[in-house]
Amino acid sequence: MTHDDRSAAKPADTELDRELHSALELDEEDDSALTPEQMLKLVDDQQSDVVRKQLAPIPWMLGVWGVAWLVGFLLLWSAAPQSNSLVTVSGPVAGIGFGVLIGAAIAASTVLGIRIGRGVQGNSSFAGAVYGISWALCGTAFGMVGVALRNNGMSYELATLYFPSAFALMAGTLYLAGAALWHQKSQLVLGIILLVTGSVSPFFGAPTNNLVMALLGGGTMLFMAVLAAVRLRRTV
Amino acid sequence: MDELDPVIHASARLRITASLATLPAGDRLAFPRLQQLLEMTPGNLSTHLRKLEDAGYVEVTKAHQGRSPVTYLNLTTRGRGAFEEYTTALKKLLGGTA
Repeated sequence: MTHDDRSAAKPADTELDRELHSALELDEEDDSALTPEQMLKLVDDQQSDVVRKQLAPIPWMLGVWGVAWLVGFLLLWSAAPQSNSLVTVSGPVAGIGFGVLIGAAIAASTVLGIRIGRGVQGNSSFAGAVYGISWALCGTAFGMVGVALRNNGMSYELATLYFPSAFALMAGTLYLAGAALWHQKSQLVLGIILLVTGSVSPFFGAPTNNLVMALLGGGTMLFMAVLAAVRLRRTV
Repeated sequence: MDELDPVIHASARLRITASLATLPAGDRLAFPRLQQLLEMTPGNLSTHLRKLEDAGYVEVTKAHQGRSPVTYLNLTTRGRGAFEEYTTALKKLLGGTA
């Protein structure tokens, strides 16, 4: 049991509580001096503050994924001999780098996701948990299809088109679900752009598809991260 | 000012009610998190919560997370209604169309 819970459960019978009572009476006397404008402003400010604090991890989540996509797919693109990248990275380094970036983004967004709306229990927590698990389930499902295709003769060249696209289509679909769940137009826009990224990038062929993934997918996420941060700051 | 609900018309309780009103119906907020959001002392918060609970505006639920008990709070239908009436009354006082 935390100290807070003990305080909540205990009746106001201590000296400290009596002191608080007298302090509160003073507080309430002061309130009578507050005008309706001030009380209404208090409501607006308080509600904005709660929303801002509860949603604070969102720009970070988008930012972490934006960096992982931008740098990760640029690494994959740079590693391909056909790319005209100024910096050439070896294949294994690019692969490991990509894996580390995506792994770090998964870890960071799991921690940040748990922090969004923390302390809330009820209908929303169920929706949030299902949404969080959906990323892992869908990621595994899309990955399994790729592995099955490889086992059935899909070439390495085609796999380099399939996996990035599947990743973008999965993320796009889940952002659309997020937009529907939390009524967020920014997630709707991001979801649509990721669906476009996933479906259009294979037409460019390898390795340019990775450049499209980095710039259009990663770039949009970073833009949305900045937008979310600015919007949250404005709600203060 | 006579028509303003005295239970909510105190800045601390108004802030608590306004914060809980941001949650959709069916959601509850843990006491420690509410305390963080309001930056109030536990004693101060629990005293005001008791007044809101006595008025039937706030529901207090004791739950367990593993072995540790957690107190969750939510506005009752009556509390949500009282908050909406209060803000409507304020807007009317200000000459708004609410």
